Amino acid sequence: MARISRAEVERVASLARLSLSDEEGDRLVREFESFLGYIDTLQEIDTAGVVPTAHPISLPTPTRPDEPEVAMDPDSAVANAPEAVASAFLVPKVIDTEAEG
Amino acid sequence: MAEGIGTLRELRAALDSRKTSSVEIVGGCLRRAEASQQSLRAFVGLRAEAALREAEASDARRERGEVRSPLDGLPIAIKDNMVQTGEPTHCASRILEGFVSPYTATAVAGLERAGVVVIGRTNMDEFAMGSSTEHSVEGPTRNPWDLDRTPGGSSGGSAAAVAARIVPAALGSDTGGSIRQPASFCGVVGMKPTYGRVSRWGLVAFASSLDQIGAFALTAADCAWVLEAIAGHDARDSTSIPEPAPAYSAALSGDLSGLRLGLPKEYFVSEGVDAGVLAVVREAVAGLERAGAKTLEVSLPYARYAIATYYSIANAEASSNLARFDGVRYGHRTAGAKGLTEMYCRTRSEGFGAEVKRRILLGTYFLSAGYYDAYYRKAQQVRTLLRGDFEQAFAGCDAIVTPTSPEVAFRLGEKTSDPLTMYLSDIYTVSANLAGIPALSTPCGFAHGLPVGLQILGPALDEATPLRIADAFQRITDHHTACPGGVS
Amino acid sequence: MSASGGEFEVVIGLEVHAHLRTKSKLFSPAPILYGAEPNHSVHPVCLALPGVLPVLNEHAVELAIRAALAMNCEVHQRSIFARKNYFYPDLPKGYQISQYEEPLATGGWVDIPTQGAGGAASKKRVRLTRIHMEEDAGKSIHDDAIAGADATLVDLNRAGVPLIEIVSEPDIRSAEEATDYLRAIRSILRFTDVSDADMEKGHLRCDVNVSLRPHGSDEYGTRTELKNLNSFRFIEDAVRAEIERQSETLRAGGAVRQCTLAYDPQSGRTSVLRIKEDADDYRYFPDPDLIPMLLAPEQIERVRSEVPELAEQRAERFQHEWGLSEQDAIQLTASPAIANFFQAAADRHGAPQTVANWILRDVMQALKELEMALDDSPFSPEALAQLISMVDEGKTTVKSARGLIAELVESGGDPESLIAERGLAAVSDAGVLERAVAEVLAENPENVELFHSGEKKVVNFLMGQVMRKTQGKADPAAVREILARELGK
Repeated sequence: MARISRAEVERVASLARLSLSDEEGDRLVREFESFLGYIDTLQEIDTAGVVPTAHPISLPTPTRPDEPEVAMDPDSAVANAPEAVASAFLVPKVIDTEAEG
Repeated sequence: MAEGIGTLRELRAALDSRKTSSVEIVGGCLRRAEASQQSLRAFVGLRAEAALREAEASDARRERGEVRSPLDGLPIAIKDNMVQTGEPTHCASRILEGFVSPYTATAVAGLERAGVVVIGRTNMDEFAMGSSTEHSVEGPTRNPWDLDRTPGGSSGGSAAAVAARIVPAALGSDTGGSIRQPASFCGVVGMKPTYGRVSRWGLVAFASSLDQIGAFALTAADCAWVLEAIAGHDARDSTSIPEPAPAYSAALSGDLSGLRLGLPKEYFVSEGVDAGVLAVVREAVAGLERAGAKTLEVSLPYARYAIATYYSIANAEASSNLARFDGVRYGHRTAGAKGLTEMYCRTRSEGFGAEVKRRILLGTYFLSAGYYDAYYRKAQQVRTLLRGDFEQAFAGCDAIVTPTSPEVAFRLGEKTSDPLTMYLSDIYTVSANLAGIPALSTPCGFAHGLPVGLQILGPALDEATPLRIADAFQRITDHHTACPGGVS
Repeated sequence: MSASGGEFEVVIGLEVHAHLRTKSKLFSPAPILYGAEPNHSVHPVCLALPGVLPVLNEHAVELAIRAALAMNCEVHQRSIFARKNYFYPDLPKGYQISQYEEPLATGGWVDIPTQGAGGAASKKRVRLTRIHMEEDAGKSIHDDAIAGADATLVDLNRAGVPLIEIVSEPDIRSAEEATDYLRAIRSILRFTDVSDADMEKGHLRCDVNVSLRPHGSDEYGTRTELKNLNSFRFIEDAVRAEIERQSETLRAGGAVRQCTLAYDPQSGRTSVLRIKEDADDYRYFPDPDLIPMLLAPEQIERVRSEVPELAEQRAERFQHEWGLSEQDAIQLTASPAIANFFQAAADRHGAPQTVANWILRDVMQALKELEMALDDSPFSPEALAQLISMVDEGKTTVKSARGLIAELVESGGDPESLIAERGLAAVSDAGVLERAVAEVLAENPENVELFHSGEKKVVNFLMGQVMRKTQGKADPAAVREILARELGK
C-alpha cells in the first residue's frame, strides 16, 4: 500500500476543513505512516466475494408514516447559534473560489 | 473521602423501609461528587438543583404509593455525550462549548420515566475517542484505585464515579470497549448490550455502526436494572431492534450448571497480555467451572485483525459524523474569520483536540477517492468474516470469556505520545462492537494491586446470559465489593 | 445563436431534481412549509443537532417508486442510502443523504414529441440512467440589508425535503429537446401525483450537461454542466448560449474545459462557476445510521398497479372512448387539473365534446384573463356540467351561460341560483315571445318580403333581432318555432 506524503495529509486536512500547523503536519505524516503500516495487515486477507458488513444486525427497513411533527420554536432553533439574525443562522460569506458541491 | 454509596438494591431497600429518602441519597451523591472533583475529576457538570427537585418529587410519589420502578428516586450519572433537555452536552470538547440541548436522548428519557435522578454528566475522552479519559478539554479523570493512573476510557468518568462510590450507577457508551475497559480498570461492572438494543437517539455519534449505550454498576444485578430502564425499541433510531426491553433481572438465577463457556485460543496466550492479568482471569474461569460451567476452546481466527478493522471503520464514520461541528448552528466559532472556509478551518482546528483531529484525518483519508476500497470496504469485508467467527463459536457455546484488557490501569501520560499503542489496548474489546454482540466486564481479582476485569460475551440479543454468569460469579466471589482506598 | 451546433453534433444529458409531495421531510419529521419564515419548519434532525438520527419517510419511498415505474425504470429490491460529504452552510450535517452505488431504480425512458420524416409528428425516446432518492439542502440567502455585506443568512426550512434525482442518458440533441424532455418529466410527475413540479417554486430544478462532437463521431466531447436553471425559457436560452460558446471555442481550435457554469439571463451568456477539480471528493459511503432499503416484490407490484394514467394514455382514451380530436385531447391533458376537471364534467354531463368545447373556449379564456390556475379556482366540474345542461334544456341561453363562466371560475357558486338571481333564465313564455316576434316582423317589413321571395337566410337576422329585444334571454328554439309559424302564414 502507498505510504503518505505531506501533500496528501494537507489534501485530506483541506477536505476535512482542518488547518494544520507545520509541526502538526509533520507529526501527522509520521502517525499516518505508522498507522497505515499497521492497517496494511488487512491486505493479507483474501476477501474476494465477501459481502461487506455495513451493520452488525439485519433488520427490515424501518420507515415512519408521513406525519409531520410540530416544528421547533424558531427561537429555540437558533438558540445555540454563534450568530443569528431574524431566525436565520448567520455565516461569513464565501470569499474564495470555494463553492457548493 | 466520605462514606461511599451502596448498591442500587441496597438503596432501594433503604427507601422502601423508610431508612432514608431520595433527597438524602441524591444530596449525598452531590456532596461526594463535589468533594471528589479535585482528586478524580469524574464529572464535567452537576445538576444539583434539578436533581434535588426530582428527588423531592420521587419522595412525594413514594409517599403516595406511586413508585414508578425499582429505580425510582435513585441517582445516576450520565456520560457527557448524551443529551437532556435544557442541559449542556459537550462531549468533553471545546467545539460544543455553550451547547444546551433542546431535546432528550431516548436512553435518558427511559431513566426519567423510571423516576431515576440524573445528578450530572461524567468526564470522557473527547467525542469518546480514547481509552484513558485523558483527551478531555476538562482535563483527565483519575483512577480511584491509584490517582496516578487513568480510569481507562472513553467512559472513564462514569467508571471512576461508580468505583469511588459517588453514584451507584452510570451510563456510558461503548464503541470499541469504552464501557468495558474502564469498568475493568476501575473494578466495577460495565455492560455494552447488543448493537441496537438501546436507542442511539440523543447519543452524540462517534461511529454509528459501532456505538452502543450501556451501563456501569457495582453488581451485575444492578446493571440489569439500569439496562431494563434504557433498553427497548425506539422508532427514532433506524438501527433499533424492534423488541421490548427483556426482563434481565428474571434471568439472574445464580445457576451455571450445564453452561458452556468458550475460551478463544487466540486470547489465552501469554503474548501481548500481562502475566498477572492472565493468571487472575484463568483463576476466575476456574471459579466458574467449579460453579458448574463447562469450558471449551473456541477459535476466532480473524480476531487478530480486529483492531485494524475497527479503526478503519470507526475513523471513517467519525470523519463524517463530526462534519456537523462547523460553527454554524451551535458550539464554538472562531472569532474574526474572513470568509467561510477560514471560519470552518479555524473553528474546527480550535474546537477539536489532537486525538479527534487525528481520527478525522485518518477517516477522511480512508473514504477519499482511490482509498475507499482498500480501507473502508476492505474493513467492512473483514467485519463480515469476524462476525462469522463469532457465529461459529456460539454454535458450540453459550458465552465466551476473555480478559477485558491485556493490562491493568496504565499511568497518566504513559500512552498519549504513541497513539497506536493506545489503540492496541482495545484488543479484546473491539470485536464485540464489530460483531454487534453483547459483552460485559466484571471484576475478577487484582494484579499489581489494581483491578482486573473478566469479559463475558454473549450471542446477539442475549444480554441475559453474560449477566447471569457475572451475577453467579459475584455470588461466589467478593472482588466486586472491594473499595478503593479512602472510600468505605 | 442556433439551436443546433452547426458542424457539431450537440449531446445533452439532464439531471432533474424533483421535490416529492409529502407532508414531512425525507428523514426528519419536520413539516414541509413553502414560503415560511427562516427556520420555521425545522426539527432537531434538520438542524443536525448532536445525537439526532434519520428515519425514512415511507410515503416518500412510495412516491419515488411510483415515479420510477411511470418512467419505465427497473426498481431494485435493495438500495442503499449513502452519505455525500462536503461542507456548506446550507448542508447542516456536513453530508447529504443520497444514493450512490445501488440506487432505487435504473434504466427506463421518457418519450418526447419530435418531428418525424416529412414533418409528421413522431416520438423520440430519451433513456434514463437512474432515479435515486435524496434530501434537499437548505438555502443560503444573500441579503446585505439584513446580514451585512460580509455575511450570509442560512435558512434550513428546505433542508431535508425529499427529492428524486432523474438522470438521463446523453440522448438529447438540442435545446428544444431538452425543454421538451423536461416538460414530459413534469407531466409524468404531475399526473402520478408525485410532485407539484412547479419550477417557479423550486419543486423542479435541473442541471444540464452539454458537449459537442463532430457529426458521426462515437466519442463524447468534454462536457460542461449548467447549474440551477429554474425556468424552461432559461434552460433553452442557456443551452443555446452554451452550444454557441463551445462551438466558437472548437472552431477556433481550442478545447472545452470541464467546468460548472451559471447562466445569466440578463446578458444571455454562460459564465464559469468553477473548474472541476480533484477537490470534488465526496467520500461517498453507505450511511451507517440507515440500513439498506429492502422492497418486497409485492410492494413494487402494488405500486405499479396503482400508477395513475399518464397524460398520453388519457389523451388516447379521450380520443378513442369519447371521439375527441387529437388536438383537443392533448390540450385537455396539459395538466392533471384540466384533465381531471374535464373528465369529471364530461362524466356528469354526458356529452364530452360539448364539455370539451366549453372548457377549451370559455374556461381557458377566463383562467387566462384572471391569471389563475384551475387548481386555485373554486369552480367545480359538477357546476360546469350543470350550467351546460341548463343551456341544453333551454333554461338559459348560451350567451347568459358564457357570461357567467368568469365569475364561476373566480369565485365559484351554484349556476342554477346564480341564473335565478341575475334574471338570466331563458324566456320561453309564449305570450312574451309572440309579442316580440310580432314587433320585429312589423319593424322589418323588407326582410319579411325577402323571406317570401326565397331568401330563407333572413330568418337568422330576424332571430337576432328577437334575441336582442329580449336581452338574449329568449329560448332560441321557441323563438325559431314562432318565427317559422308567423312567416309561414
